[in-house]
Amino acid sequence: MTADVPEPGAPAVLPKTPDGEWLRVHPASPFVRGWLALAAIGFFFGRDIFERMLQGRPVFEEDFAGRAPWLVAAGGAVLLATVAGFVLEWYFTKYQVSGGYVRVNSGFLFRQQRQARLDRVQAIDIVQPLLARIFGLAELKFEVADAGESAVRLAFLRMDDARQLRADILARAAGVVLDPERPQEPAPEAPEHPVLSVPPSRLVGSLLLSEQSFFVVLGGVASVILSAVTENRGFYFYLIPAALGLAASYWGSFNKGYNFTAAISPDGIRLRYGLLDTQAQTLPPGRIQALRVSQPPLWRIFGWYRIQVNVAGYGALGSNGEVSSRTTLLPVGKLPDVMSMLSLVLPDPGTAEPGRIFAAGLNGLDSDGGFVTTPRRGRLLAPLGWRRNGFTATATALLIRSGRWWRQLVVVPHQRTQSLALHQGPLARRFGLADLVLHTTAGPVSPRLIQAGADEARALFDAQAARARLARKRQTTEHWLAQVVEPFQAAVPVVQDLQGTAPVAESTGTRAAPAVESVEPAPAAEASDTPPLTPQQEGPQRG
Amino acid sequence: MRTEAIDPPGIIWQRVSPKYITVRLVQWAIANLAAVLILSLPLVLVLSGWWRWPPLWLAITVPAVTLVLALWRLALIPRQVRAIGYAERDDDLLIRGGIFFQRTMAVPYGRMQYVDIAVGPVERGLGLCTLKLHTASPGTNALIPGLPAAEGARLREQLAARGEARLAGL
Repeated sequence: MTADVPEPGAPAVLPKTPDGEWLRVHPASPFVRGWLALAAIGFFFGRDIFERMLQGRPVFEEDFAGRAPWLVAAGGAVLLATVAGFVLEWYFTKYQVSGGYVRVNSGFLFRQQRQARLDRVQAIDIVQPLLARIFGLAELKFEVADAGESAVRLAFLRMDDARQLRADILARAAGVVLDPERPQEPAPEAPEHPVLSVPPSRLVGSLLLSEQSFFVVLGGVASVILSAVTENRGFYFYLIPAALGLAASYWGSFNKGYNFTAAISPDGIRLRYGLLDTQAQTLPPGRIQALRVSQPPLWRIFGWYRIQVNVAGYGALGSNGEVSSRTTLLPVGKLPDVMSMLSLVLPDPGTAEPGRIFAAGLNGLDSDGGFVTTPRRGRLLAPLGWRRNGFTATATALLIRSGRWWRQLVVVPHQRTQSLALHQGPLARRFGLADLVLHTTAGPVSPRLIQAGADEARALFDAQAARARLARKRQTTEHWLAQVVEPFQAAVPVVQDLQGTAPVAESTGTRAAPAVESVEPAPAAEASDTPPLTPQQEGPQRG
Repeated sequence: MRTEAIDPPGIIWQRVSPKYITVRLVQWAIANLAAVLILSLPLVLVLSGWWRWPPLWLAITVPAVTLVLALWRLALIPRQVRAIGYAERDDDLLIRGGIFFQRTMAVPYGRMQYVDIAVGPVERGLGLCTLKLHTASPGTNALIPGLPAAEGARLREQLAARGEARLAGL
């Protein structure tokens, strides 16, 4: 139970009675959201005065007195209209969490009513832009599998309320039945156990050694050589905007990745990061569709890796930088960090020796860890990669590794495979090779097994279709707490083996992730017959 | 060149209607003849003396090469159409296509989000339709073109029924 129990007499923004009541976001939010508009108006009127002061001219012209009322009136009208617009928008935006749905009504000219099913939640993020953070406010984003904009965005709530609402939504989505005798009782926030954090020094190092830096140095050297050869100083000037852009990009990565911490709770993986703007993501169990561990060449010096994931609600890369930080499960980490993240994503690795197999996927060559690689006849097509391009399957996931210099390991849980396809072009046919593509939701990871032997690829195509079918049959309900929890034991050895430190789950005495990956068949109808988890009963599990 | 299929062995493929060749021919004609005509414009202008710049050999070569490529594609169309196939298995639908660049795809019924049937003007004239399957993945580009309308409707109903029976979450 958290301390966020709403005090009596608090304003109506508190989601203290989750069922049925329509609530508004925090009254300050129109101003926090509209600060840009206000700043623009202030800039428009302030710039003129500022310039005059700089130039030593009188602040007001002689005939200013005649124009002043008009100026003030116009400025006031614009200001009033802007503020009124935001306030109206705030007034007409109401949300409600009840009966397995979250509903949001918004708009005053064009009304919009939206409802999203709680058990379809793919992720919940709490975002705090700098200004909102100063006021102790936060934005809550509720993602369903749409890959577009967030299904529900509530901007802004008080931080405590946002966390309470998140706990409430997650508890309902997980299938926790609140005590019917005390419906006023807010859902307890699930306890969490820190798993890892990224020290700032490592983050800076990773940025300096990233692929981007490599090209920066290359570009810089090229410009210097060019200007020396052509005796043209112009090249230095081209470097200035490039340097500014780069600084902004590095700053963006640093700002986003600063103080990255990952934790595990029964409600899923919790990620927190950010220097000025902070963000807290919650990924419920089993929501990760595909995962990629990659290592740029220079990171090999320190043994660093990066993990990116596909989550159905986050959408594809490209449009904005926000997605790229949201789909990063680990910005930079060493092998033990990678292994503990993998054990969170894949609580049941489906193999007796996960450490050896995943390490072979990250660093191995040839048939280490049971990987099947490109046959020797394909070495002309992939002179460097043929010993590394390969796959292996555990009982729960398919592992695809590739890249000799840009090392990559892609992990796709069998349960998450959407469809799959074999591809073969004329050149590959000549060498008796084929590619196997697994289709997953939009995101940075696109799993493709390249240059496998044609027979192996064909066998894998059949085997993978069968494995995915079995895994789908075992998947039962979206209520993750209603699922059997037993196989989570399998996850603990991963962390133990690979970290050599205190195991995550045992040190805290509670269970870590509910294992979604392997559950017994239990039709949804039965899920409701199971005894409801009242707050007392769920104490040992959730509290 | 050896064009051994990469499909899993022992599958009986349903082929699409041979009339689909006509649809492809119309598409081919619209795309390729237009390209050849546009690329031939400089030749006409050079021959008539309006333009000086593209030398005659270039003005001839470009449309000629385009024409040869277009004719090659034309010759491939019947084989490409014959290469398209689909097979309904117990738990997934297999779709194959291509000769040089082969692709065999398996779409599990439980993963289908919705099924589209599209009919273009030429297809309508021939009584054909195109079936498209959508999963949660944008990478699933599962098209079965050139189905007879009745077969398309049957397949859609069949897929919907099977999808409902095996529906899985994401």
